[in-house]
Amino acid sequence: MPTLTEPQTLIPPSTHVHADVIHRLESGGSMLPDTPENLMQIIGIYKAYAVPMDFYWRDLLYIAERVFLNPVPAFKYFLPQEYLDLPNHYAGDTADLRIWRGIATAHPELLEFMERGEMKRKLPKLIHHLWHDRVNMEFAEACMQAMLWHQDMGGRFNDYLYTDEYKGNCDRAIHAYFKGNPVMLGLHKLFPEMFYEKCRELSYYSNLGLFWEVMAPVFFEMSDIYDEGGFSGVPAAMDFLVNGIFAVAGRPIYHHVYIGDECFELIPKSCAFTWLYEAALPYVEAVFYRTAPFRGTKSYNAQAGQVPLDQNDFHYGILYADVFPVGSSGIPPTLLMQDMLHFLPPYLLEYYQEHCRGEDDILIQLGITFQRSMYNVTSAVIQALRAALLYPLDDQNPRHLAANRKFFEAQIDRFVRPEARLRDVQTQDYR
Amino acid sequence: MPTIVDIAVSNEGFSTLVAAVQAAGLVEALQSPGPFTVFAPNDAAFAKLPPGTVQTLVQNPPQLGRILKFHVVSGKYTQTELIKLGTVESLEGAPIPIDGTEGFEVKNATVIAADIEADNGIIHVLDNVILMG
Repeated sequence: MPTLTEPQTLIPPSTHVHADVIHRLESGGSMLPDTPENLMQIIGIYKAYAVPMDFYWRDLLYIAERVFLNPVPAFKYFLPQEYLDLPNHYAGDTADLRIWRGIATAHPELLEFMERGEMKRKLPKLIHHLWHDRVNMEFAEACMQAMLWHQDMGGRFNDYLYTDEYKGNCDRAIHAYFKGNPVMLGLHKLFPEMFYEKCRELSYYSNLGLFWEVMAPVFFEMSDIYDEGGFSGVPAAMDFLVNGIFAVAGRPIYHHVYIGDECFELIPKSCAFTWLYEAALPYVEAVFYRTAPFRGTKSYNAQAGQVPLDQNDFHYGILYADVFPVGSSGIPPTLLMQDMLHFLPPYLLEYYQEHCRGEDDILIQLGITFQRSMYNVTSAVIQALRAALLYPLDDQNPRHLAANRKFFEAQIDRFVRPEARLRDVQTQDYR
Repeated sequence: MPTIVDIAVSNEGFSTLVAAVQAAGLVEALQSPGPFTVFAPNDAAFAKLPPGTVQTLVQNPPQLGRILKFHVVSGKYTQTELIKLGTVESLEGAPIPIDGTEGFEVKNATVIAADIEADNGIIHVLDNVILMG
Protein backbone atom coordinates (compact mmCIF):
# COMPACT_ATOMS: atom_id res chain seq x y z
CA MET A 1 0.00 0.00 0.00
CA PRO A 2 1.33 3.46 -0.81
CA THR A 3 1.87 5.87 2.02
CA LEU A 4 0.26 9.27 2.21
CA THR A 5 3.43 11.02 1.08
CA GLU A 6 4.31 8.78 -1.83
CA PRO A 7 4.09 10.80 -5.05
CA GLN A 8 1.91 9.55 -7.88
CA THR A 9 4.27 9.05 -10.80
CA LEU A 10 2.53 6.74 -13.27
CA ILE A 11 0.04 9.40 -14.39
CA PRO A 12 0.48 13.19 -14.47
CA PRO A 13 -0.87 15.26 -11.54
CA SER A 14 -4.52 16.23 -11.54
CA THR A 15 -5.40 19.73 -12.66
CA HIS A 16 -8.73 19.69 -10.81
CA VAL A 17 -9.55 22.68 -8.60
CA HIS A 18 -9.42 20.25 -5.63
CA ALA A 19 -6.32 18.45 -6.94
CA ASP A 20 -4.81 18.32 -3.43
CA VAL A 21 -7.82 16.35 -2.16
CA ILE A 22 -7.83 14.07 -5.23
CA HIS A 23 -4.14 13.25 -4.74
CA ARG A 24 -4.86 12.48 -1.10
CA LEU A 25 -7.67 10.11 -2.06
CA GLU A 26 -5.35 8.46 -4.58
CA SER A 27 -2.84 7.89 -1.80
CA GLY A 28 -5.41 6.11 0.36
CA GLY A 29 -6.42 9.17 2.37
CA SER A 30 -9.70 10.84 3.19
CA MET A 31 -11.18 14.14 2.05
CA LEU A 32 -10.58 15.20 5.64
CA PRO A 33 -6.91 15.99 6.38
CA ASP A 34 -5.08 13.52 8.59
CA THR A 35 -4.51 15.43 11.83
CA PRO A 36 -4.84 14.17 15.43
CA GLU A 37 -7.37 16.97 16.06
CA ASN A 38 -9.57 15.81 13.18
CA LEU A 39 -9.32 12.20 14.32
CA MET A 40 -10.29 13.12 17.89
CA GLN A 41 -13.23 15.21 16.66
CA ILE A 42 -14.69 12.71 14.24
CA ILE A 43 -14.43 9.72 16.56
CA GLY A 44 -15.91 11.68 19.45
CA ILE A 45 -18.85 12.74 17.34
CA TYR A 46 -19.36 9.21 15.94
CA LYS A 47 -19.82 8.03 19.51
CA ALA A 48 -22.21 10.89 20.31
CA TYR A 49 -24.13 10.08 17.13
CA ALA A 50 -24.28 6.34 17.75
CA VAL A 51 -26.24 6.64 21.00
CA PRO A 52 -29.29 8.45 19.58
CA MET A 53 -28.89 6.36 16.43
CA ASP A 54 -29.44 3.32 18.63
CA PHE A 55 -32.85 4.83 19.38
CA TYR A 56 -33.51 5.91 15.79
CA TRP A 57 -33.07 2.49 14.20
CA ARG A 58 -35.13 0.75 16.85
CA ASP A 59 -37.96 3.26 16.59
CA LEU A 60 -37.87 3.34 12.77
CA LEU A 61 -38.35 -0.42 12.75
CA TYR A 62 -41.03 -0.20 15.46
CA ILE A 63 -43.00 2.34 13.39
CA ALA A 64 -42.54 0.35 10.16
CA GLU A 65 -43.37 -3.01 11.71
CA ARG A 66 -45.90 -2.31 14.49
CA VAL A 67 -47.35 1.21 14.39
CA PHE A 68 -47.91 0.71 10.67
CA LEU A 69 -51.07 2.52 9.47
CA ASN A 70 -52.26 3.79 12.85
CA PRO A 71 -54.17 6.95 11.83
CA VAL A 72 -53.27 8.70 15.09
CA PRO A 73 -49.76 7.50 15.89
CA ALA A 74 -49.46 9.67 18.99
CA PHE A 75 -47.28 7.15 20.78
CA LYS A 76 -44.97 6.16 17.94
CA TYR A 77 -41.96 7.58 19.80
CA PHE A 78 -42.73 5.53 22.92
CA LEU A 79 -40.47 2.61 22.25
CA PRO A 80 -41.76 -0.58 23.87
CA GLN A 81 -39.37 -2.75 25.87
CA GLU A 82 -39.45 -5.38 23.14
CA TYR A 83 -37.74 -2.99 20.74
CA LEU A 84 -35.27 -1.75 23.34
CA ASP A 85 -34.29 -5.37 23.84
CA LEU A 86 -34.24 -6.15 20.13
CA PRO A 87 -30.80 -7.64 19.57
CA ASN A 88 -28.72 -5.69 17.09
CA HIS A 89 -27.57 -8.05 14.34
CA TYR A 90 -24.05 -6.57 14.42
CA ALA A 91 -23.31 -6.35 18.15
CA GLY A 92 -23.27 -8.70 21.11
CA ASP A 93 -22.98 -12.45 21.41
CA THR A 94 -25.91 -13.21 19.12
CA ALA A 95 -24.64 -11.10 16.21
CA ASP A 96 -24.72 -12.38 12.62
CA LEU A 97 -21.39 -10.62 12.24
CA ARG A 98 -19.98 -9.00 15.35
CA ILE A 99 -18.85 -5.47 14.58
CA TRP A 100 -19.16 -3.95 18.06
CA ARG A 101 -17.82 -5.92 20.99
CA GLY A 102 -20.48 -4.36 23.23
CA ILE A 103 -24.04 -5.42 23.90
CA ALA A 104 -26.82 -6.10 21.40
CA THR A 105 -29.63 -4.42 23.35
CA ALA A 106 -30.18 -0.65 23.76
CA HIS A 107 -27.08 1.29 24.85
CA PRO A 108 -26.93 2.02 28.63
CA GLU A 109 -26.39 5.77 28.05
CA LEU A 110 -29.51 5.84 25.91
CA LEU A 111 -31.57 4.04 28.54
CA GLU A 112 -30.37 6.44 31.22
CA PHE A 113 -31.24 9.45 29.07
CA MET A 114 -34.67 8.04 28.25
CA GLU A 115 -35.35 7.63 31.94
CA ARG A 116 -33.96 10.90 33.32
CA GLY A 117 -33.62 13.20 30.29
CA GLU A 118 -31.79 16.49 30.22
CA MET A 119 -33.58 17.47 33.43
CA LYS A 120 -31.85 14.54 35.16
CA ARG A 121 -35.11 13.73 36.88
CA LYS A 122 -37.00 10.51 36.76
CA LEU A 123 -40.46 11.57 35.62
CA PRO A 124 -43.23 9.77 33.71
CA LYS A 125 -42.43 9.18 30.04
CA LEU A 126 -45.29 11.43 28.95
CA ILE A 127 -43.84 14.40 30.85
CA HIS A 128 -40.43 13.93 29.23
CA HIS A 129 -42.16 13.65 25.87
CA LEU A 130 -44.33 16.75 26.20
CA TRP A 131 -41.45 18.77 27.64
CA HIS A 132 -39.47 17.60 24.61
CA ASP A 133 -36.84 16.18 26.92
CA ARG A 134 -36.25 13.15 24.77
CA VAL A 135 -34.50 11.79 21.71
CA ASN A 136 -35.45 13.90 18.68
CA MET A 137 -36.92 11.17 16.54
CA GLU A 138 -38.11 13.86 14.13
CA PHE A 139 -34.55 14.00 12.81
CA ALA A 140 -34.67 10.34 11.81
CA GLU A 141 -38.02 10.92 10.14
CA ALA A 142 -36.62 13.89 8.22
CA CYS A 143 -33.87 11.62 6.84
CA MET A 144 -36.46 9.04 5.89
CA GLN A 145 -38.52 11.72 4.15
CA ALA A 146 -35.47 12.86 2.17
CA MET A 147 -35.06 9.30 0.90
CA LEU A 148 -38.77 8.98 0.14
CA TRP A 149 -38.93 12.31 -1.62
CA HIS A 150 -35.83 11.93 -3.78
CA GLN A 151 -36.93 8.39 -4.64
CA ASP A 152 -34.83 7.17 -7.48
CA MET A 153 -31.23 7.18 -6.30
CA GLY A 154 -29.95 3.90 -7.64
CA GLY A 155 -30.78 0.41 -6.49
CA ARG A 156 -34.08 -1.30 -7.18
CA PHE A 157 -35.93 -0.53 -3.93
CA ASN A 158 -37.99 2.39 -5.16
CA ASP A 159 -39.02 0.69 -8.41
CA TYR A 160 -40.35 -2.26 -6.42
CA LEU A 161 -42.69 0.04 -4.45
CA TYR A 162 -44.72 0.63 -7.61
CA THR A 163 -45.07 -3.00 -8.69
CA ASP A 164 -48.28 -5.02 -8.55
CA GLU A 165 -46.47 -7.52 -6.34
CA TYR A 166 -45.79 -4.83 -3.73
CA LYS A 167 -49.36 -3.49 -3.94
CA GLY A 168 -50.68 -7.03 -3.49
CA ASN A 169 -48.52 -7.45 -0.39
CA CYS A 170 -49.78 -4.10 0.91
CA ASP A 171 -53.41 -5.08 0.26
CA ARG A 172 -53.08 -8.17 2.43
CA ALA A 173 -51.54 -6.17 5.27
CA ILE A 174 -54.03 -3.29 4.93
CA HIS A 175 -57.00 -5.69 5.05
CA ALA A 176 -55.59 -7.46 8.09
CA TYR A 177 -54.75 -4.21 9.89
CA PHE A 178 -58.18 -2.61 9.29
CA LYS A 179 -60.13 -5.85 9.73
CA GLY A 180 -63.60 -4.94 11.01
CA ASN A 181 -63.10 -1.24 10.24
CA PRO A 182 -65.44 -0.49 7.31
CA VAL A 183 -64.53 3.21 7.27
CA MET A 184 -60.81 2.63 6.63
CA LEU A 185 -61.44 -0.28 4.28
CA GLY A 186 -63.93 1.88 2.40
CA LEU A 187 -61.32 4.64 2.13
CA HIS A 188 -58.85 2.11 0.78
CA LYS A 189 -61.34 1.03 -1.86
CA LEU A 190 -62.15 4.61 -2.86
CA PHE A 191 -58.56 5.93 -2.78
CA PRO A 192 -56.25 2.91 -3.06
CA GLU A 193 -53.14 5.00 -3.73
CA MET A 194 -53.47 6.70 -0.35
CA PHE A 195 -52.54 3.70 1.80
CA TYR A 196 -50.09 2.40 -0.80
CA GLU A 197 -48.25 5.69 -0.54
CA LYS A 198 -48.30 5.45 3.25
CA CYS A 199 -46.92 1.91 2.96
CA ARG A 200 -44.13 3.19 0.71
CA GLU A 201 -43.22 5.72 3.36
CA LEU A 202 -43.24 2.97 5.99
CA SER A 203 -41.02 0.85 3.76
CA TYR A 204 -38.51 3.69 3.81
CA TYR A 205 -38.78 3.72 7.62
CA SER A 206 -37.75 0.06 7.53
CA ASN A 207 -35.02 0.73 4.98
CA LEU A 208 -33.44 3.48 7.09
CA GLY A 209 -33.87 1.49 10.32
CA LEU A 210 -32.02 -1.47 8.82
CA PHE A 211 -29.34 0.88 7.50
CA TRP A 212 -28.71 2.53 10.87
CA GLU A 213 -28.84 -0.79 12.73
CA VAL A 214 -25.46 -1.37 11.10
CA MET A 215 -24.02 2.11 11.53
CA ALA A 216 -24.62 2.37 15.30
CA PRO A 217 -22.36 -0.60 16.21
CA VAL A 218 -19.80 0.53 13.61
CA PHE A 219 -19.52 3.92 15.33
CA PHE A 220 -19.49 2.39 18.84
CA GLU A 221 -16.67 0.08 17.83
CA MET A 222 -14.71 2.97 16.29
CA SER A 223 -15.05 4.89 19.55
CA ASP A 224 -13.80 1.90 21.55
CA ILE A 225 -10.85 1.35 19.20
CA TYR A 226 -9.91 5.03 19.53
CA ASP A 227 -10.14 4.87 23.32
CA GLU A 228 -7.75 1.92 23.19
CA GLY A 229 -5.36 3.96 21.03
CA GLY A 230 -6.05 1.78 18.01
CA PHE A 231 -6.37 4.30 15.18
CA SER A 232 -3.17 5.67 13.69
CA GLY A 233 -4.94 8.50 11.91
CA VAL A 234 -7.94 9.66 9.87
CA PRO A 235 -7.20 7.22 6.98
CA ALA A 236 -7.24 4.29 9.43
CA ALA A 237 -10.65 5.41 10.68
CA MET A 238 -11.82 5.69 7.08
CA ASP A 239 -10.49 2.22 6.26
CA PHE A 240 -12.47 0.78 9.16
CA LEU A 241 -15.60 2.27 7.58
CA VAL A 242 -14.65 0.94 4.14
CA ASN A 243 -14.23 -2.58 5.55
CA GLY A 244 -17.53 -2.20 7.42
CA ILE A 245 -19.31 -1.19 4.21
CA PHE A 246 -18.02 -4.30 2.44
CA ALA A 247 -18.69 -6.61 5.37
CA VAL A 248 -22.40 -5.79 5.54
CA ALA A 249 -22.94 -4.89 1.88
CA GLY A 250 -25.04 -8.02 1.36
CA ARG A 251 -27.31 -7.52 4.36
CA PRO A 252 -30.97 -7.88 3.24
CA ILE A 253 -33.18 -4.79 3.12
CA TYR A 254 -36.82 -5.75 3.64
CA HIS A 255 -40.07 -4.57 5.22
CA HIS A 256 -42.01 -6.90 7.49
CA VAL A 257 -45.21 -5.84 9.25
CA TYR A 258 -46.53 -7.59 12.35
CA ILE A 259 -50.27 -7.54 12.86
CA GLY A 260 -51.19 -9.58 15.90
CA ASP A 261 -49.13 -12.74 15.65
CA GLU A 262 -48.97 -12.68 11.89
CA CYS A 263 -46.07 -11.37 9.81
CA PHE A 264 -46.84 -9.70 6.48
CA GLU A 265 -43.91 -9.34 4.15
CA LEU A 266 -44.41 -6.10 2.24
CA ILE A 267 -40.88 -6.43 0.91
CA PRO A 268 -39.64 -9.99 1.43
CA LYS A 269 -35.96 -10.76 1.86
CA SER A 270 -36.22 -12.84 -1.31
CA CYS A 271 -36.38 -9.60 -3.33
CA ALA A 272 -32.59 -9.69 -2.82
CA PHE A 273 -32.34 -6.02 -1.90
CA THR A 274 -29.02 -5.29 -0.27
CA TRP A 275 -27.78 -2.89 2.36
CA LEU A 276 -25.21 -1.31 0.02
CA TYR A 277 -27.29 -0.82 -3.12
CA GLU A 278 -30.77 -0.26 -1.73
CA ALA A 279 -30.02 1.54 1.55
CA ALA A 280 -26.50 2.93 2.01
CA LEU A 281 -25.97 4.51 -1.40
CA PRO A 282 -29.48 6.03 -1.62
CA TYR A 283 -29.08 7.30 1.96
CA VAL A 284 -25.77 9.03 1.25
CA GLU A 285 -27.19 10.58 -1.91
CA ALA A 286 -30.43 11.76 -0.31
CA VAL A 287 -29.15 12.86 3.08
CA PHE A 288 -25.49 13.84 2.70
CA TYR A 289 -25.81 15.50 -0.68
CA ARG A 290 -29.37 16.44 -1.53
CA THR A 291 -32.12 16.72 1.11
CA ALA A 292 -34.20 19.87 0.65
CA PRO A 293 -34.02 23.42 1.99
CA PHE A 294 -35.04 23.38 5.64
CA ARG A 295 -38.00 25.54 6.39
CA GLY A 296 -37.08 28.40 8.64
CA THR A 297 -33.39 28.60 7.84
CA LYS A 298 -33.24 30.77 4.74
CA SER A 299 -35.65 32.05 2.10
CA TYR A 300 -35.21 30.83 -1.43
CA ASN A 301 -36.85 32.28 -4.50
CA ALA A 302 -37.57 29.33 -6.78
CA GLN A 303 -38.75 31.63 -9.59
CA ALA A 304 -35.37 33.35 -9.54
CA GLY A 305 -33.65 30.00 -9.98
CA GLN A 306 -32.32 29.86 -6.44
CA VAL A 307 -33.60 26.30 -6.12
CA PRO A 308 -32.39 23.90 -8.84
CA LEU A 309 -34.99 22.84 -11.39
CA ASP A 310 -33.56 19.33 -11.36
CA GLN A 311 -33.85 17.39 -8.12
CA ASN A 312 -30.53 15.72 -8.92
CA ASP A 313 -28.85 19.08 -8.39
CA PHE A 314 -30.20 19.62 -4.89
CA HIS A 315 -27.35 20.42 -2.54
CA TYR A 316 -28.78 21.01 0.92
CA GLY A 317 -27.19 18.07 2.70
CA ILE A 318 -24.64 18.15 5.51
CA LEU A 319 -21.73 18.34 3.06
CA TYR A 320 -22.98 21.77 1.95
CA ALA A 321 -24.64 23.07 5.10
CA ASP A 322 -23.89 26.43 6.59
CA VAL A 323 -24.20 25.18 10.14
CA PHE A 324 -24.54 28.61 11.70
CA PRO A 325 -28.17 29.51 10.72
CA VAL A 326 -29.26 25.94 11.31
CA GLY A 327 -29.33 26.54 15.04
CA SER A 328 -33.08 27.17 15.27
CA SER A 329 -35.49 24.86 16.95
CA GLY A 330 -37.27 22.26 14.86
CA ILE A 331 -34.66 22.27 12.09
CA PRO A 332 -33.62 18.64 11.52
CA PRO A 333 -29.83 19.12 11.84
CA THR A 334 -30.36 21.14 15.02
CA LEU A 335 -32.44 18.31 16.42
CA LEU A 336 -29.57 15.95 15.77
CA MET A 337 -27.03 18.33 17.28
CA GLN A 338 -29.18 18.55 20.40
CA ASP A 339 -29.31 14.76 20.53
CA MET A 340 -25.55 14.42 20.14
CA LEU A 341 -24.92 17.06 22.81
CA HIS A 342 -26.25 14.65 25.44
CA PHE A 343 -23.71 11.94 24.67
CA LEU A 344 -20.46 13.79 23.93
CA PRO A 345 -17.36 12.05 25.25
CA PRO A 346 -15.55 14.17 27.91
CA TYR A 347 -12.57 14.93 25.65
CA LEU A 348 -14.82 16.51 23.01
CA LEU A 349 -16.80 18.50 25.58
CA GLU A 350 -13.54 19.86 26.94
CA TYR A 351 -12.38 20.71 23.41
CA TYR A 352 -15.52 22.75 22.69
CA GLN A 353 -15.24 24.61 25.99
CA GLU A 354 -11.78 25.77 24.93
CA HIS A 355 -12.87 27.17 21.57
CA CYS A 356 -15.14 29.93 20.23
CA ARG A 357 -17.74 30.77 22.83
CA GLY A 358 -17.45 27.57 24.79
CA GLU A 359 -20.75 26.07 25.76
CA ASP A 360 -22.72 29.02 24.32
CA ASP A 361 -22.15 27.95 20.73
CA ILE A 362 -21.49 24.29 21.38
CA LEU A 363 -24.25 23.16 18.99
CA ILE A 364 -22.56 25.02 16.13
CA GLN A 365 -19.14 23.66 17.05
CA LEU A 366 -20.36 20.10 17.22
CA GLY A 367 -22.36 20.61 14.02
CA ILE A 368 -19.14 21.51 12.22
CA THR A 369 -17.39 18.53 13.78
CA PHE A 370 -20.26 16.44 12.48
CA GLN A 371 -19.74 17.94 9.03
CA ARG A 372 -16.05 16.96 9.19
CA SER A 373 -16.99 13.46 10.28
CA MET A 374 -19.45 13.09 7.41
CA TYR A 375 -16.77 14.17 4.92
CA ASN A 376 -14.84 11.21 6.29
CA VAL A 377 -17.83 8.85 5.95
CA THR A 378 -18.38 10.11 2.39
CA SER A 379 -14.68 9.49 1.70
CA ALA A 380 -15.16 5.92 2.92
CA VAL A 381 -18.11 5.51 0.55
CA ILE A 382 -16.06 6.93 -2.34
CA GLN A 383 -13.11 4.63 -1.54
CA ALA A 384 -15.42 1.62 -1.15
CA LEU A 385 -17.00 2.34 -4.54
CA ARG A 386 -13.57 2.75 -6.07
CA ALA A 387 -12.48 -0.60 -4.60
CA ALA A 388 -15.68 -2.33 -5.71
CA LEU A 389 -15.97 -0.89 -9.20
CA LEU A 390 -12.50 0.19 -10.19
CA TYR A 391 -8.89 -0.59 -9.35
CA PRO A 392 -6.53 -0.84 -6.37
CA LEU A 393 -4.69 2.36 -5.48
CA ASP A 394 -1.33 0.64 -6.01
CA ASP A 395 -2.29 -0.74 -9.43
CA GLN A 396 0.67 -0.44 -11.79
CA ASN A 397 -1.38 -0.02 -14.97
CA PRO A 398 -1.58 3.71 -15.93
CA ARG A 399 -4.87 3.09 -17.74
CA HIS A 400 -6.39 1.78 -14.51
CA LEU A 401 -5.00 4.67 -12.51
CA ALA A 402 -6.47 7.08 -15.07
CA ALA A 403 -9.87 5.41 -14.57
CA ASN A 404 -9.52 5.83 -10.80
CA ARG A 405 -8.56 9.48 -11.34
CA LYS A 406 -11.61 10.07 -13.54
CA PHE A 407 -13.83 8.53 -10.87
CA PHE A 408 -12.33 10.59 -8.03
CA GLU A 409 -12.56 13.80 -10.08
CA ALA A 410 -16.20 13.11 -10.94
CA GLN A 411 -16.97 12.62 -7.25
CA ILE A 412 -15.12 15.76 -6.21
CA ASP A 413 -16.82 17.77 -8.99
CA ARG A 414 -19.85 17.76 -6.71
CA PHE A 415 -17.89 19.88 -4.24
CA VAL A 416 -16.85 22.55 -6.70
CA ARG A 417 -20.00 24.60 -6.13
CA PRO A 418 -19.50 27.47 -3.65
CA GLU A 419 -21.82 26.03 -0.98
CA ALA A 420 -19.64 22.93 -0.54
CA ARG A 421 -17.66 22.83 2.70
CA LEU A 422 -14.79 20.73 1.37
CA ARG A 423 -12.46 23.73 1.28
CA ASP A 424 -13.48 24.76 4.81
CA VAL A 425 -12.81 21.38 6.43
CA GLN A 426 -9.22 21.47 5.15
CA THR A 427 -8.32 23.86 7.97
CA GLN A 428 -8.77 23.59 11.72
CA ASP A 429 -9.95 27.16 12.25
CA TYR A 430 -13.31 26.34 10.63
CA ARG A 431 -15.34 25.60 13.72
CA MET B 1 -18.63 -32.86 -21.89
CA PRO B 2 -18.85 -31.71 -18.24
CA THR B 3 -21.21 -28.91 -17.20
CA ILE B 4 -20.13 -25.53 -15.87
CA VAL B 5 -20.66 -26.78 -12.30
CA ASP B 6 -18.70 -29.99 -12.95
CA ILE B 7 -15.73 -28.00 -14.22
CA ALA B 8 -15.78 -25.66 -11.20
CA VAL B 9 -16.03 -28.59 -8.78
CA SER B 10 -13.28 -30.65 -10.38
CA ASN B 11 -10.76 -27.85 -10.70
CA GLU B 12 -8.72 -26.49 -7.83
CA GLY B 13 -9.08 -22.83 -6.97
CA PHE B 14 -12.86 -22.53 -7.18
CA SER B 15 -13.89 -23.87 -3.77
CA THR B 16 -15.33 -20.50 -2.60
CA LEU B 17 -17.30 -20.07 -5.80
CA VAL B 18 -18.66 -23.61 -5.60
CA ALA B 19 -19.64 -23.12 -1.94
CA ALA B 20 -21.31 -19.81 -2.84
CA VAL B 21 -23.25 -21.33 -5.73
CA GLN B 22 -24.42 -24.11 -3.43
CA ALA B 23 -25.39 -21.65 -0.64
CA ALA B 24 -27.37 -19.55 -3.12
CA GLY B 25 -29.17 -22.63 -4.46
CA LEU B 26 -27.99 -22.04 -8.01
CA VAL B 27 -26.43 -25.46 -8.68
CA GLU B 28 -29.43 -26.80 -10.51
CA ALA B 29 -29.81 -23.68 -12.63
CA LEU B 30 -26.14 -23.81 -13.68
CA GLN B 31 -26.49 -27.47 -14.60
CA SER B 32 -29.47 -26.79 -16.87
CA PRO B 33 -28.91 -26.75 -20.66
CA GLY B 34 -28.46 -22.96 -20.70
CA PRO B 35 -26.26 -22.06 -22.45
CA PHE B 36 -24.52 -19.61 -20.11
CA THR B 37 -21.40 -17.54 -20.11
CA VAL B 38 -19.96 -17.58 -16.59
CA PHE B 39 -17.36 -15.13 -15.30
CA ALA B 40 -15.90 -17.24 -12.54
CA PRO B 41 -13.86 -15.50 -9.81
CA ASN B 42 -11.24 -17.85 -8.38
CA ASP B 43 -10.50 -18.34 -4.67
CA ALA B 44 -7.85 -15.61 -4.72
CA ALA B 45 -10.47 -13.19 -6.07
CA PHE B 46 -12.85 -13.92 -3.18
CA ALA B 47 -9.96 -13.67 -0.71
CA LYS B 48 -9.40 -10.05 -1.79
CA LEU B 49 -12.79 -9.03 -0.35
CA PRO B 50 -12.61 -7.47 3.14
CA PRO B 51 -13.36 -9.81 6.08
CA GLY B 52 -17.03 -10.51 6.68
CA THR B 53 -18.17 -9.79 3.11
CA VAL B 54 -18.56 -13.41 2.06
CA GLN B 55 -19.91 -14.43 5.49
CA THR B 56 -22.79 -11.91 5.26
CA LEU B 57 -23.60 -13.01 1.73
CA VAL B 58 -23.56 -16.72 2.57
CA GLN B 59 -25.97 -16.00 5.45
CA ASN B 60 -28.37 -14.43 2.95
CA PRO B 61 -28.90 -16.67 -0.10
CA PRO B 62 -31.11 -14.31 -2.18
CA GLN B 63 -28.57 -11.49 -1.84
CA LEU B 64 -25.69 -13.87 -2.59
CA GLY B 65 -27.62 -15.18 -5.58
CA ARG B 66 -27.99 -11.65 -6.92
CA ILE B 67 -24.23 -11.02 -6.79
CA LEU B 68 -23.55 -14.40 -8.43
CA LYS B 69 -26.11 -13.73 -11.17
CA PHE B 70 -24.12 -10.62 -12.02
CA HIS B 71 -21.37 -13.05 -13.08
CA VAL B 72 -23.60 -14.96 -15.48
CA VAL B 73 -24.82 -14.04 -18.96
CA SER B 74 -27.44 -15.89 -20.94
CA GLY B 75 -25.88 -17.34 -24.12
CA LYS B 76 -22.46 -18.67 -24.96
CA TYR B 77 -19.92 -15.97 -25.74
CA THR B 78 -16.24 -16.47 -26.44
CA GLN B 79 -13.56 -13.91 -25.65
CA THR B 80 -13.60 -12.61 -29.26
CA GLU B 81 -17.39 -12.26 -29.28
CA LEU B 82 -17.48 -10.49 -25.91
CA ILE B 83 -14.82 -7.97 -26.89
CA LYS B 84 -16.75 -7.25 -30.06
CA LEU B 85 -19.97 -6.71 -28.09
CA GLY B 86 -18.39 -4.29 -25.59
CA THR B 87 -21.21 -4.74 -23.06
CA VAL B 88 -23.38 -7.69 -22.12
CA GLU B 89 -26.39 -7.87 -19.85
CA SER B 90 -26.00 -10.07 -16.78
CA LEU B 91 -28.74 -12.31 -15.43
CA GLU B 92 -28.89 -9.88 -12.50
CA GLY B 93 -30.04 -7.21 -14.96
CA ALA B 94 -27.11 -4.83 -14.70
CA PRO B 95 -24.73 -4.45 -17.67
CA ILE B 96 -21.18 -5.83 -17.65
CA PRO B 97 -18.65 -3.77 -19.61
CA ILE B 98 -15.99 -5.71 -21.51
CA ASP B 99 -12.65 -4.25 -22.60
CA GLY B 100 -10.13 -5.71 -25.01
CA THR B 101 -7.68 -2.79 -25.15
CA GLU B 102 -5.02 -4.71 -23.24
CA GLY B 103 -5.75 -8.39 -22.88
CA PHE B 104 -9.29 -9.29 -21.82
CA GLU B 105 -10.95 -7.30 -19.02
CA VAL B 106 -14.41 -7.78 -17.59
CA LYS B 107 -15.42 -4.66 -15.70
CA ASN B 108 -12.56 -4.13 -13.23
CA ALA B 109 -11.40 -7.75 -13.37
CA THR B 110 -8.83 -9.31 -15.66
CA VAL B 111 -9.60 -12.64 -17.29
CA ILE B 112 -6.82 -15.03 -16.36
CA ALA B 113 -8.17 -18.02 -18.29
CA ALA B 114 -10.63 -17.57 -21.16
CA ASP B 115 -12.86 -19.77 -23.28
CA ILE B 116 -13.12 -22.86 -21.08
CA GLU B 117 -15.76 -24.87 -22.91
CA ALA B 118 -18.51 -26.66 -20.97
CA ASP B 119 -21.46 -28.72 -22.06
CA ASN B 120 -23.90 -25.94 -21.20
CA GLY B 121 -21.80 -22.86 -21.85
CA ILE B 122 -18.42 -21.29 -21.44
CA ILE B 123 -16.29 -20.09 -18.50
CA HIS B 124 -13.91 -17.16 -18.23
CA VAL B 125 -11.89 -17.08 -15.00
CA LEU B 126 -11.62 -13.70 -13.23
CA ASP B 127 -9.04 -12.38 -10.77
CA ASN B 128 -11.68 -10.17 -9.04
CA VAL B 129 -15.25 -10.49 -7.87
CA ILE B 130 -17.19 -7.98 -9.98
CA LEU B 131 -19.98 -5.86 -8.52
CA MET B 132 -22.88 -3.97 -10.04
CA GLY B 133 -22.75 -0.21 -10.41
